[in-house]
Amino acid sequence: MLVQPFVRIDNVTKRFGRFTALDRISLDIAEGEFLTIVGPSGSGKSTLIRLLVGIDDVTEGTISLNGSRIDTVPANKRPTCMVFQSLALFPHMSVGKNIEFPLKLKKVTPADRRARALELLRLLRLPEDYYGKMIGQLSGGERQRVALARALAFDPEIIVFDEPLSALDYRLRKTLEKELKDLHGRTGKTFVYITHSLEEAMVMSDRIAIMRRGRFEQIASAEEIYSRPVSRFVASFMGEVNLFDLAVDGAGQPVWQGAGVTAAPGALTLAPGWQGALMVRPELVRFLAPGQSADFTVQGQMAAEYALGSRIQYSVQTEGGMVITVERPFEARHHGAPGAPVALGWDRDAVHPIAGTGEGGGDGKA
Amino acid sequence: MKPVSNTTRIALYLYGFLIIAVLYLPLVSVGFASVSKARYLTFPINRYTSEWMVQAVTSPNVHDLVLTSLKIAVSVTVLSMVIGFFGALAFARFQWKYRNLFQKLILLPIFFPQTVLGLALLIWFSALGIQPSWKTAVVAHLVWIAPITTLIIAIRAYGFDPALEEAARDMGASTLTILREVTLPLLMPGVISAGLFAFLLSWGNFPLSLFTTGVDSTLPKWLYARMVSGYTPQIPALGVLSVVGSALLMTIGFLVFRWTRRRA
Repeated sequence: MLVQPFVRIDNVTKRFGRFTALDRISLDIAEGEFLTIVGPSGSGKSTLIRLLVGIDDVTEGTISLNGSRIDTVPANKRPTCMVFQSLALFPHMSVGKNIEFPLKLKKVTPADRRARALELLRLLRLPEDYYGKMIGQLSGGERQRVALARALAFDPEIIVFDEPLSALDYRLRKTLEKELKDLHGRTGKTFVYITHSLEEAMVMSDRIAIMRRGRFEQIASAEEIYSRPVSRFVASFMGEVNLFDLAVDGAGQPVWQGAGVTAAPGALTLAPGWQGALMVRPELVRFLAPGQSADFTVQGQMAAEYALGSRIQYSVQTEGGMVITVERPFEARHHGAPGAPVALGWDRDAVHPIAGTGEGGGDGKA
Repeated sequence: MKPVSNTTRIALYLYGFLIIAVLYLPLVSVGFASVSKARYLTFPINRYTSEWMVQAVTSPNVHDLVLTSLKIAVSVTVLSMVIGFFGALAFARFQWKYRNLFQKLILLPIFFPQTVLGLALLIWFSALGIQPSWKTAVVAHLVWIAPITTLIIAIRAYGFDPALEEAARDMGASTLTILREVTLPLLMPGVISAGLFAFLLSWGNFPLSLFTTGVDSTLPKWLYARMVSGYTPQIPALGVLSVVGSALLMTIGFLVFRWTRRRA
């Protein structure tokens, strides 16, 4: 590659005693990118960002910024800044003193510090008289903004976020997600964000890296991850998804496991001997009226209906014993009593094949 | 809070009154003894006098005693605050191999009978060839008081988010800066209350001082000696003055404590 990546995490391993938290991880991050690392707890995402900012040391491998190694640079000399899950605002200092803290360490004059702090308060839409308030007097969302202002005051090359929104209520979280994305656009800084909520990741990120057991499962755009997950783990990580186990026999004929799906000739283009699952998103499954057809069809019984607000979710029990999740917009809701027979169908475009029988990428291939 | 019924209220008043009476009646009688003209306290008091109080305040001997007690108490306070601060970090803040053992061992001196501890220290000092004086008493007091200040500060250190120090480091602070700007100010309320305890415990300590002050004498030691041989009402007078002094110090300490709290 001719273009040198902004951040390069190269073959990094982190062990705690005999436990391997990160297993030969490599990742390039572009300048100004909003990268989100998503994974369940214990997947290694927190470990990775702690290595990135230098709170912990790498066991093996290197991390470089603009071509020079930073993994050997101590945390207080590294141009990275973390917004902690607890926010780590200093409770014994005012809002202004918190924001000025990194500037004071950089020996900026008091007048300049104050000016910069007020400027950042404005940038984060906090009233200027918050300068003198104590941290304890602020609400959760306001604290969030102060933590962000403090990180921006430090003016790092990379700002790293350790699930800072996880403690907030749903509505506030949604607002702040959008604000954060907006702020990313305005500051042009490189953001590395970790969360266990793929939904949160999708709203904000340029790219999403999905982690599992100390490895990256998939690194791609939100759209790519949503529609073309590489493994069952990724597919199921972001919520409701239908997975149909399938094998293709030597003659190229599909052998469905349990679901009782009928595929139209030519709808499936998988090689003989292929084994894995077909993923179909709930919103791409539709109810078929008598006489209507689709590339894939399955018969079943309406089991339950859940109102999600703008959408309605249905559970349909197939003859093969599988439960298929269907989502329709509220306007296109299906009127069927529980127990009533229904026909479901979807088209070939809606199908995404995931090879392998294990949960994660590579697990099943071995 | 829940409104209380009449019976509960009467019970509460009665309980409160009893507690206060049991705690303060002895002090009050000492107070009376110090202002009674009679050599031995009798009720009702026939003639009041301030003679004993004046004697207590003006006696050069008492000045020496107060000075020795103060020297010891102030030294113990300062040293035990410093020791307690770092001890608390080791106790509560850092994960290290022998932390569990440390946490248990540090508590032992508190439960050790003080007279035995004082005697043990005296034997130890003479084995080392150290002449006992008010300085050895400082060491003896520290053996007992430093674990207490460690505990008091550790309680505060337990409620301390380690991310605060990590964040400070992340933003470029050196270890010394973190200590000065983050750790110390946040633990300050604990350090101040620990210091207050240390002063009062040292000021009033008798069993450790008895063995380890050598030729120097502290106020409690002298009071005891005078009570055993040669009681005068100067003793209760001194006792009262000592209590008033302690109460004043507590009040000042409390005000300082509240002041740091407001800043925290």
